[in-house]
Amino acid sequence: MIGLSDYLIVAACLFSLGVIGLFLNRRNVITILMCIELILLAVNLNFVAFSHYLNDLAGQIFVFFVLTVAASEVAVGLAILVAFYRTRRSIDVDDINTLQG
Amino acid sequence: MANATFPFPENLWIMIPEMIIAVMAMTLLLVDLFVAKDKKYLIAYATIASCVLAIVALLNIQSADGLMTFYGYFVYDPFAVFAKILILVATVFTVILSLDFMKDEENVGEYYCLILFAVLGMMLMASSNNFITFYLGLELMALSIYVLVAYQRDVLRSTEAALKYFILGSLSSGMLLYGVTFLYGVTTSFDFNAIGQALASTNASAHIAVMLGMLFVIAGMAFKVSVAPFHMWTPDTYEGAPTPVTAFMSVAPKVAGFVVFMRVLVDAMPAIQHDYTQVLIVLAGLTIIVGNVAAIAQRNIKRMLAYSTVGHVGFVLLGLIAANQEGYTGALMYLTIYLFMNMGVFAIIILMRRDGIQGELIDDFAGLSRVRPGYALAMGLLLFSLAGIPFLAGFWAKLLVIAAVIKAGHLYLGVLAIVFSVVGSFYYLRLIKYMYFDEERVTFNFIENNGMRFSVVVCALAVVVLGLYPDPVIAICKNALVGLI
Repeated sequence: MIGLSDYLIVAACLFSLGVIGLFLNRRNVITILMCIELILLAVNLNFVAFSHYLNDLAGQIFVFFVLTVAASEVAVGLAILVAFYRTRRSIDVDDINTLQG
Repeated sequence: MANATFPFPENLWIMIPEMIIAVMAMTLLLVDLFVAKDKKYLIAYATIASCVLAIVALLNIQSADGLMTFYGYFVYDPFAVFAKILILVATVFTVILSLDFMKDEENVGEYYCLILFAVLGMMLMASSNNFITFYLGLELMALSIYVLVAYQRDVLRSTEAALKYFILGSLSSGMLLYGVTFLYGVTTSFDFNAIGQALASTNASAHIAVMLGMLFVIAGMAFKVSVAPFHMWTPDTYEGAPTPVTAFMSVAPKVAGFVVFMRVLVDAMPAIQHDYTQVLIVLAGLTIIVGNVAAIAQRNIKRMLAYSTVGHVGFVLLGLIAANQEGYTGALMYLTIYLFMNMGVFAIIILMRRDGIQGELIDDFAGLSRVRPGYALAMGLLLFSLAGIPFLAGFWAKLLVIAAVIKAGHLYLGVLAIVFSVVGSFYYLRLIKYMYFDEERVTFNFIENNGMRFSVVVCALAVVVLGLYPDPVIAICKNALVGLI
């Protein structure tokens, strides 16, 4: 029987993977966008698990909002990435280094 | 259920200010297509007009004890009104500062529409009474500002700043939501008041999910208002963004963020006040130290002001730690005064722009007093106020929050704040030394118009007048808290 805690553990693992990926990733920015998606999906999994467990619909409604916003967030993120690529000719994380102090 | 009817939301009229901004933003987006390239300033004027209209609407909708609409998702109380007026005033200043700065950019009409959408998001945040409204307002604000930062899309610094801000901003939204899931799991609600009641009826401090939720929610909000150690994006984004956008970001989102921060702490988390205060104490101490020390090493004035913002945010946090009427009044007062100080300083930085190169280095200010004594005087007053020199507005702001936090029993934090405000005054005074005692190193070439002059004069006057007569504004801030505590 899969209980609430199992879902929460999976979501916690996904969330940690997303955060770790965001900071340890040295390759390119697309991976970072994927990590952000992973974090938001972990959140959604938590919401749905709690919603089902508590028998309350509000959590699932929030999931729809999160999904919608996540889609527009990625759209804006990719647009910024394209603008960055045009000026820098690279999307390597190591090349995001003009601004330093 | 097939023919279930939904009642029309009561009190919908309290959203009139938001409706004005939303309708104007969308209308202007459309109108922009038919406006010739050299007439784009009309869009800017329309933006200012819609902000003024919204302020008028806010002042005319009376509500002493807080009205709600959309089934309790949206609250209209004096606290929200105060915050919205601050946000709208900051926006008017931003548009005035943008007029000349942005006029050579492509599609500048969209720039003003994006500002209006960001304002709409912030107004929603200020009125949110529920984590769903809060999240939607936050994202509307954040997504608009990511694009505004990247507005000079041929400039590497601008796009890079936007990319960094986007990555860390998205992370912070994720953390905030992750915290919200746990609060929802414990309390079965997203409503701030319902969460507060549910937490009060259980032994919340012993509940690990509540603590996790509280920590993640605070971390998420700390990111947005650039509290150390979540401030890493601030210097880079402030430096890379077009200067008017930097001015906007340094004031309006901070107001919106702090207002919703206070609402969450007061309405949703009173039962765990002891626990969140400990977290805030650590964050505030760290923020004040990092902000004031790191600013000393900066040569770029936008970077320096970014760290200075971090320092000031730490001071506002002191008011939240005191968590009583005095503390919150101090925090609101701080935000009000900070608006004028920062907008004035940024107006002068924008004036210094020459030949496409922005007058951004501290060295560029050398000898300003000989060329333009008026601007140097205004800048001097604003910097003295930022440093907290007595009898300018910034002094009262600092005094109120430090007094509140000491009275609440955190003497060490008050002492730390005083020490680091002395450390911090070093980099403000250094700039004054450059302006008044050094030889000029560059030929000044001001880009000025009456709007810019007006902003500089209003901000400098506000700092002086509020420094001499702070009482009326303190009273207004106190009244704004009526619905909250």
